[in-house]
Amino acid sequence: MKPVITGVSKISSNNIESVTSGLHDSIRQMRFVNSMEQLTVIAVGILLNDAKIGIPIGNASVSLFVGIDDSIEDIKNEYFEGILNEGILGASPLLFPYTTPNSLAAQVSIAFDIRGENITIPIKHSYRDVIEYAIECITGKYTGTAIAGGIRVQDRSLSVGEGRYVAEFFFTRRSGQRKKTGSNDI
Amino acid sequence: MKSLKDAVVITGIGIITPLKPFGGVNEFWNSLCSGEDAIKRTSLPLLDMDRKWLMAGIDQSRFQNNISSENKLQCIAEEALCMAIKDANLTEYRNAGLSLGTVLGNVLAKEKRLIESKRQKSKCGNERESLSHITTSLAVKHNLNGPTITISTACTSGTDAIGIAARKIMNGKTSIMFAGGVDVLSDFAILGFHVLQALTEEKVRPFDKNRSGLALGEGAAFMVLESEKHAIHRQAKIYGKVMGYASRSDANHLTGPHREGRGLADAIKQAISEYNLEPHEIDYINAHGTGTVYNDLMETKAIKKVFGKAAHDIPISSTKSMLGHSFGASGAVEAICCLLSMKNKRVPPTINFREKDPECDLDYVPNVSRHHDVNTAISLSAGFGGQNAAILFGQT
Repeated sequence: MKPVITGVSKISSNNIESVTSGLHDSIRQMRFVNSMEQLTVIAVGILLNDAKIGIPIGNASVSLFVGIDDSIEDIKNEYFEGILNEGILGASPLLFPYTTPNSLAAQVSIAFDIRGENITIPIKHSYRDVIEYAIECITGKYTGTAIAGGIRVQDRSLSVGEGRYVAEFFFTRRSGQRKKTGSNDI
Repeated sequence: MKSLKDAVVITGIGIITPLKPFGGVNEFWNSLCSGEDAIKRTSLPLLDMDRKWLMAGIDQSRFQNNISSENKLQCIAEEALCMAIKDANLTEYRNAGLSLGTVLGNVLAKEKRLIESKRQKSKCGNERESLSHITTSLAVKHNLNGPTITISTACTSGTDAIGIAARKIMNGKTSIMFAGGVDVLSDFAILGFHVLQALTEEKVRPFDKNRSGLALGEGAAFMVLESEKHAIHRQAKIYGKVMGYASRSDANHLTGPHREGRGLADAIKQAISEYNLEPHEIDYINAHGTGTVYNDLMETKAIKKVFGKAAHDIPISSTKSMLGHSFGASGAVEAICCLLSMKNKRVPPTINFREKDPECDLDYVPNVSRHHDVNTAISLSAGFGGQNAAILFGQT
C-alpha cells in the first residue's frame, strides 16, 4: 500500500486571522505565547479540516513530523535578550521551553491530542527529510497516518505581521485507509 | 508492524562524558560502576554571576590546545564519532549515514555572539545557522554519502536519533549509520532550568524520597549501526542488536510529564512489542531518572503499568545521578550504558540513594553496582513537550 496525501495546508504569518474562521472553537480560543506557535497550530488545524480528521484525536494513530529552520532562533534571541538585559531576573520561564525546537510540535500534539510519534527535524532549506521520514514510517508500518511539514522563515526582512514565517503541512496515510473518513487523495 | 528483529546490530561505540572523558569506554564504564560522581558546584563561564550551580562538565583543560568552549561541542562530537568508527574497525564507510540528536547544538556560538553584540550595544542579528549544521559538518568531514538527519526532540533526541538510524537501515536506505547525540553546558540553559525550579541545590538523588531536582551535564555519544548481514560479512564484533524502538507523545503539557506516565508507558509497550517480548524477558532498564519529583514518579508508574509484577524484579538505574543530564546526548549515553551492561553482565548504580520513597518502590540498584545476567536492556527517555522514547537492545 502506497502512502497518499489526503490533506494540505499552507499559511503565512500575515494571514493567520483570516484563515481561523473555519476552525474548531477550542483552537480559535487558544492562547499563544508566540506567533510561530500560533501559526503552526492553526496550520495543522486547517490541515486536519482538509483531511476530514475529527479532533481531538486522543490516541497514537497519528504521528507528527515537523521540520524547522533557523526561525526557531527568533525565540531563542528573545529569551537570551531578557537575560542579557536583566540578568537572572530576565530569564523567562514562559519563553525558555520554547527555545527547544520541538516546542512547536509539542503544542500541536497538545492542541489536537496527538499521541503518536513526535519527531522534530531541524533543517536548513526544505522539508525534504521530514516528508521522506514520514513516508518511511508509513511504509514501514510504524504509523498509519502522519502529519508532515514544518515552519520556515519566508523573508528575513519582514516582520511577523508582514509574513515573516510560513507553515505548510501534508496529511499522509496508507492508501487503504482513506475511505474510512471520506477524504480524497490529492 | 515491521519488526527490527535480526536486522540492525551495533558494532562500535564512542563516548565522551564528564567521567574519565578521554580514558576510553572501559575507563568510563569502570568509573560509572564504581559510582563516581561527576557533578560539581561550578560558576557559569560566560555570564558574570557570583552564584554557582551543580553541574557535570568536561574538564576544559583536558582538550588538546585548550580549545574554546565554543568549539567544545564540535570537538567532543568529533571525538566520540571517531572513537566509535575506530571501535567498529571500519575502514570503508563512504556510504554511511549520520543521525544526530541535539538540542543546544548551536548555542555556544550564539551565546558568545549575543554577549559581544550586547557589549557593543548593537542589536542582535538572527543566527544564520540551523542546528543541522553540526550534522552536516561532521558528514562533510567524514565524506559520508548516506542519509544525514538531525533530530531535536528535547531530552529524547539521542534515543530518537538511534531509533531513526535503525529504521533507515531497516528501510534499505543504507547499510551503515552513525547515530548518537551531543550537547554541552550552556549558561542560558542553566538559567532556564533554574527559573523552572528544576535544578537541585544538593545531590542528585533519583527515585529517593528526598529527591529535589536535576543537575545539568554534557557529553557526546555515538554508535555504529549496521545491517546484521553487512556486519557478519565483514566479521565485525557485535555489541548487540536493536530489538525495538518507539516514540510517543504525552499530548499533555509543555514542560511537565503526564502524571501517570501515559506516553512513556505507550512507548515502552510499543518498543517491546516489536520483538514480541514478554515483560519478564527484559533484564535491565536504564531509566531517564532525572531526580525531579514528577519525572521519577511518572517513570515508576509507567514501568509498573507495562511490566506489572515483573517490574519489581528488573534492576533499574539512573546514570544521571553520576553524569548529570546532558540533554540531547543523554539518550545516546544511556543506550551505550545498556550495551555495556549486556557486555559486562553488570548494572550501574543509582548513587546518592538514601531513603526509599513509598511511591517509587522498585529496584533502583541503590549506590552499588551489581553483577546481573543482562541479555536484554531498555533505555527510556522523556523530555520537554511530552516527548517519550524507548529503545530496546538484545544480544545476538
